[in-house]
Amino acid sequence: MKQLITVLITIGLMGYGFGVVAGPEEDRIAFQKYYTSRFSDTPLDDFINGIYSIDAPSREQWEEIEEFPPYEIDIEEGQVLYETPFANGNSYATCLEDGTLKARHQYPYYDTQRQEVLTLELALNECRQSNDEEPLKYGKGAIAQLSAYMALQSRGEPINVVVPDEPGALAAYENGKEFYFSKRGQLNFSCFDCHGSSAGMNVRADRLSPALGHPSHFPVYRSKWGGMGTLHRRFKGCNEQVRAKGFKPQSVVYRNLEYFLTYMSNGLAFNGPGARK
Amino acid sequence: MIRCFTVNFSILTGLLLSSALVLADDFATKWDEAEAKRIEAAELGYEWRDTEKILKSAKKESEAGNTEKAMALVAQAFEQSKDAIAQSQREKENWASRVPK
Ligand code: HEC
Repeated sequence: MKQLITVLITIGLMGYGFGVVAGPEEDRIAFQKYYTSRFSDTPLDDFINGIYSIDAPSREQWEEIEEFPPYEIDIEEGQVLYETPFANGNSYATCLEDGTLKARHQYPYYDTQRQEVLTLELALNECRQSNDEEPLKYGKGAIAQLSAYMALQSRGEPINVVVPDEPGALAAYENGKEFYFSKRGQLNFSCFDCHGSSAGMNVRADRLSPALGHPSHFPVYRSKWGGMGTLHRRFKGCNEQVRAKGFKPQSVVYRNLEYFLTYMSNGLAFNGPGARK
Repeated sequence: MIRCFTVNFSILTGLLLSSALVLADDFATKWDEAEAKRIEAAELGYEWRDTEKILKSAKKESEAGNTEKAMALVAQAFEQSKDAIAQSQREKENWASRVPK
């Protein structure tokens, strides 16, 4: 009798484990399938092109824009910033050598020692600060130009975010996931309401892009911004569009969101920087 | 007659003044309540975009003597934060149902 109860409990727990708490890999497969079956004309690896992966008319215009990309100057500026030594003679390359800075495509990742998600922009500023330089302002300007230069070096590299099997990493991933699917703000929308269920539909003058591939091409030159912006700037803009208060770029919330969202695009390629309306 | 008028007048101004004071006092209390609610929503990560701005304009209206308008704004801010907190509780229950399976 006792044994039977144990067996029943074990089966129950197993059911719970498989049915309710899906792991990141199950999530990713289901997430990608959601988009590839809804937009079956779009090859999986083309989702990195945002709205242009599902909207043929605007794609032509965009391809013309990409021939003389508006972010070219920013890449050049980024390279100059990258190569100019700090006052102490070190440079970003020094951080790359000692491993405190990595290539674009190695972000975001969960640092098991620090127990937090690290992003490229955060690491760039930490590199500066460890060399007695003032941190750059997040969101736009020099940090986006540096990021654009580094994104170019990583074009074509696969997105391959790892969620190590440990409680802190899973918690960061789950936190980003919960954020993505939770409705917020006065207008009561989740990210997924717009970039999932409503992808391909119009809001005001915009057609909504699918979330798959979203983080591949940042930073982005947006004509609306008249310049470059980072992924977290975009997050904040989207939060405020639904009249929720946005979070600070590089806050834990947005880093976890980037972690989850980038994991969902594993297997696709990095293709930043990008140009958008 | 003149005296009578003066007395009446002072009673009247007294009444008006004290009601203004009561309102101002009430405003400060209500404003603090609304601000506390805003912080509660913010700590849940659910603050709405405009709540803080509404509370700021409420203060301005109050300082300019537009107490009624100020009170209305405070009430609006309070409602927003109440709704935001309710939203956070609702979403705790509901978000997972939207994840593609
Ligand atoms: C009310 C609808 C709406 C909501 C909700 C929304 N967005 Fe957006 N988002 C847009 C629109 C419109 C654009 C610009 C057109 C496009 O590319 O979809 C956009 C663009 C983006 C882009 C850039 C796409 C590209 O190809 O460069 C990202 C990334 C993004 N949103 C992420 C998010 C995240 C994360 C959330 C949740 C915090 C979110 N969005 C919530 C409407 C929304």
